[in-house]
Amino acid sequence: MALETQAMQTNASVDADIADPFLLKLRDLIYRVSGIYHQEVKFYLLASRVRRRMAVLKSGTLADYYDRLTTRPDRDAEMRSLLNEITIGETYFFRSKPAIDALCKIILPKLMALNVKQSLKKIKIWSAGCSTGEEPYTLSIVLLENLLQKFKGWSFEILATDLNENSISKCREGLYGDYAVRNLTPELRGRYFTPAGSLLKVKDEVRAAIKFERLNLQDQPKMLFMKGFDLIFCCNVLIYFDGVAKKRTVEHFFNGLIPGGYFFLGECETLFNVYEQFRLVHFPGATGYHKPGPGEPAGGAA
Amino acid sequence: MKPISADALRRRIGDLGTLPAMPSVLQSLTECLSSNAENVNIERVVELISYDKSLASQVLRMANSALFRRRVEVASLREGVLSLGIWRIRDLAYSCTLPALLGKSKEGIAPTVFWRHALGTALVSQHLAQRLAVPNVEKFYLAGLLHDLGILVNSILFPQQFPAVLKLAETSETPLYEVEMQELGFSHCESGRILAEHWRLPEDISGAIEFHHHPPMDVPYTDLACTIYLADLLCRLRGLGYGYYEAREFDLAAEPSWQVLQKRYPAAAALDMALFTFELDEHAVQVCELVDSIFSGTAVSH
Repeated sequence: MALETQAMQTNASVDADIADPFLLKLRDLIYRVSGIYHQEVKFYLLASRVRRRMAVLKSGTLADYYDRLTTRPDRDAEMRSLLNEITIGETYFFRSKPAIDALCKIILPKLMALNVKQSLKKIKIWSAGCSTGEEPYTLSIVLLENLLQKFKGWSFEILATDLNENSISKCREGLYGDYAVRNLTPELRGRYFTPAGSLLKVKDEVRAAIKFERLNLQDQPKMLFMKGFDLIFCCNVLIYFDGVAKKRTVEHFFNGLIPGGYFFLGECETLFNVYEQFRLVHFPGATGYHKPGPGEPAGGAA
Repeated sequence: MKPISADALRRRIGDLGTLPAMPSVLQSLTECLSSNAENVNIERVVELISYDKSLASQVLRMANSALFRRRVEVASLREGVLSLGIWRIRDLAYSCTLPALLGKSKEGIAPTVFWRHALGTALVSQHLAQRLAVPNVEKFYLAGLLHDLGILVNSILFPQQFPAVLKLAETSETPLYEVEMQELGFSHCESGRILAEHWRLPEDISGAIEFHHHPPMDVPYTDLACTIYLADLLCRLRGLGYGYYEAREFDLAAEPSWQVLQKRYPAAAALDMALFTFELDEHAVQVCELVDSIFSGTAVSH
């Protein structure tokens, strides 16, 4: 009962926050700092995440919290905490159907038609900032379902890296609860997972092509060796970097892709004014960044 | 499938009895608004719309919907004309009248799908023109709303061939325009032009309808046609298309229409097109609600 009352109070404050002009200012601030854009339909989510930080800090109003994010000495640390709160729960299997459709229907066929791919017939993918593994495992399942069944003789490998050692351990365990697999059809669950108590364990054939490694994207010497990828995914990681680090990291990604390769950010992130060599490309329901291949217009217009 | 020549198309459409006449209220409204802005008789416009009680209440509801609403609720048509502007009231009258007139076809695209695309393109055209600071923005909404009229003409005049074209576009995941050209030898652009002439629409609107898939670069309506081209494309990319998946990748910066607008309007350089598509998603939800309410005749939610 007490919990219910508390929840109702929180809902009431969130409703009030949605009408508060400071929420718009916060949205714009988060976009400027991190490149994450909150659509109005997601204001409820934004307001409730902000509320959690306000509760920790015992900050009473959005205006006061905005002040803490912009004028206080510890504002950078608070922005990191807020971004952490915002990106919690953002990882689950098959999160973005439009991006997966674009991959299967448009991008893979195009990559596989490239001259340079004809000798080895292998698709190389890097999941940079793979968190607890939902993204690389999703990619593996997508490729098992699409690439290997429809195109004989092709194979793939996925490199999955994260800064956090604990996340990498979780990846290797490959154990997931209902929340993480909620977008998976019962067929896919049956085909690629085995029950392990109340959890689901990823089958070995899904792991076979994935290599998990700890990597700091700020480690310049190591980043120089990351080469030859067809696809790079980096969701909700660059948002934590300042302008210089962001640009440097994206440049490494650009250099790490083959000409004709693609780079994907999180669903509501943009690269505007960060790095001009990539071209912004649109697919139905999804946006990505393209490294110009042979005969394609050069960058400078993303 | 036997192709239909452009001549045959004209002959077929020459028999205009099969095509709907322009509703008299729109005809009078267009005439009344074609004089200089300062000569427009506001009382006459209000009177014209008020003749049709259901149209008047629909216009009023739409004026108060989330997509068009100003700070203060509009209580009467006269107030609506004064606060939203006379052009906007004309736009709303078109938006409310045409779906009922042309929404009965059982073959081809479902009426709600078609009008979501039309209304979406209207709003995105106007929004894009405003963001680019294009002068004379009052025509962009109407041109966007009407740009695909030819699709309805094709469904009426070619009840056998056109649904087959649509089906082929859907199964091959190809843009409709390409399949029309390949299978019919003409597209909804030409048939739309013929209806526009039949309805005596202004020349720049007719031109934008005819050329919205290949805008000419040096005519008085180049801005209009280029903007409609991009808005149409963006809507198809963000779930307001013809109801099927188009397996295409688009690089807006490489599109001649975007390059022309970019050259003419410096504001284009500051536009983050990834962000623009995220914002479009917000409006898409409201567009769907609005179109559904036009068809069901129920109140538009505020």
